[in-house]
Amino acid sequence: MMGKIIAFHSYKGGTGKTLLSINLAATYARKGKNVCLLDLDFRAPSLQARFKANGNGYWLNDYLNGVCEIEKVLIDLSHLSSGNGKFLVGLANPSTEAIREMSAKDRKWEMRALGRLLSLRNSLLNDMHLDYLIFDTSPGLQYSSINAIVAADVAIVVTSLDTSDIRGTQRMTSELYDLFEKKTGIVVNKVLADMLSSTAGKENFSEHFHNTHNLPVLDTIPCFCDVLRAGGTCVFAEEKPEHAFAKTVERIAQKIEKI
Amino acid sequence: MTLYKSLQGKPIRVLEKIADSLNQLNEKVDVLIELQKHSRGGIVNESVTDVLDVMTLLSLPDHLRKTAITLCNLGQATAEEIAEQTKRARAVESGYLNQLVLMGYLKKERRGRKAYFYVEKGDPGEK
Repeated sequence: MMGKIIAFHSYKGGTGKTLLSINLAATYARKGKNVCLLDLDFRAPSLQARFKANGNGYWLNDYLNGVCEIEKVLIDLSHLSSGNGKFLVGLANPSTEAIREMSAKDRKWEMRALGRLLSLRNSLLNDMHLDYLIFDTSPGLQYSSINAIVAADVAIVVTSLDTSDIRGTQRMTSELYDLFEKKTGIVVNKVLADMLSSTAGKENFSEHFHNTHNLPVLDTIPCFCDVLRAGGTCVFAEEKPEHAFAKTVERIAQKIEKI
Repeated sequence: MTLYKSLQGKPIRVLEKIADSLNQLNEKVDVLIELQKHSRGGIVNESVTDVLDVMTLLSLPDHLRKTAITLCNLGQATAEEIAEQTKRARAVESGYLNQLVLMGYLKKERRGRKAYFYVEKGDPGEK
């Protein structure tokens, strides 16, 4: 089976892209799959803080700049997973100087960056035999995010119930994902638990949401106090696989296969 | 009347010729319309190259976007190779590719009997 590239995206920030991409990667790794997670949010890098990793002298910025090959960037965190699979991460440079530099790139650079992202299919999926490559992107219509979406097989869009977030997600669906003929799945995050029970469960809520907003809903995730309390220090899919949040991510993993 | 005489009773052949010429003209006008939509300052010049970034891809009409993205994925390709992926006719893809070349987004190179199209030569990340 050929590996898959999944891009997490959202219209607004703070919807849970990073949380979900880390936990999805951990879910695959626990099942013995070979996974690579890349932080493509160059404006607000976060994986280096989550994994307390400092990079190994090379960042994804360097790969996109054509300074080094992708192997130099990847950090092996397989020891953090209880599965037999590989768990690799690629970090974005969090220094202010690097962020400033990335935001000043021109169109020609972005075009070349797209080429570098596209060639990851060959280097990571074909040559290194990885099963999943997961992109964590910047919110909104950023060059880096659109590049990631073009290079991906599936776009998972995380939205909150905020009206502006839903409207933005609808607009991106018709004016971005559809134009690139991308398979897309929407995950509605931070839904209040009583909203899910009062509308007779998740299925009804998803259906209602799908009908009112005409978006392909993959799943709904309630607000979990435990997840908020952990403040990003706990990878539930690895450390607490029996937790309802980890179970939800597992279900999303299964649904992605059917998109 | 003299014109009719000069047709020597073969008006159908003349009409066919006119239809052919109109078709050719149509194709050229299509290309010009695309050029005017996308080229800066409207200069028709094959050596003026524009950048095929994602924002540009988004602004292209659907039929050209499909061709352009397929080429981005393949790196370089012939019209036939593009047609295999898009499931459209080779001649159609050839037309779209040449249009993208005229618009300054792609380069075309002949090697023997085959014409190869590409965005940028070699490693896309190379400076």
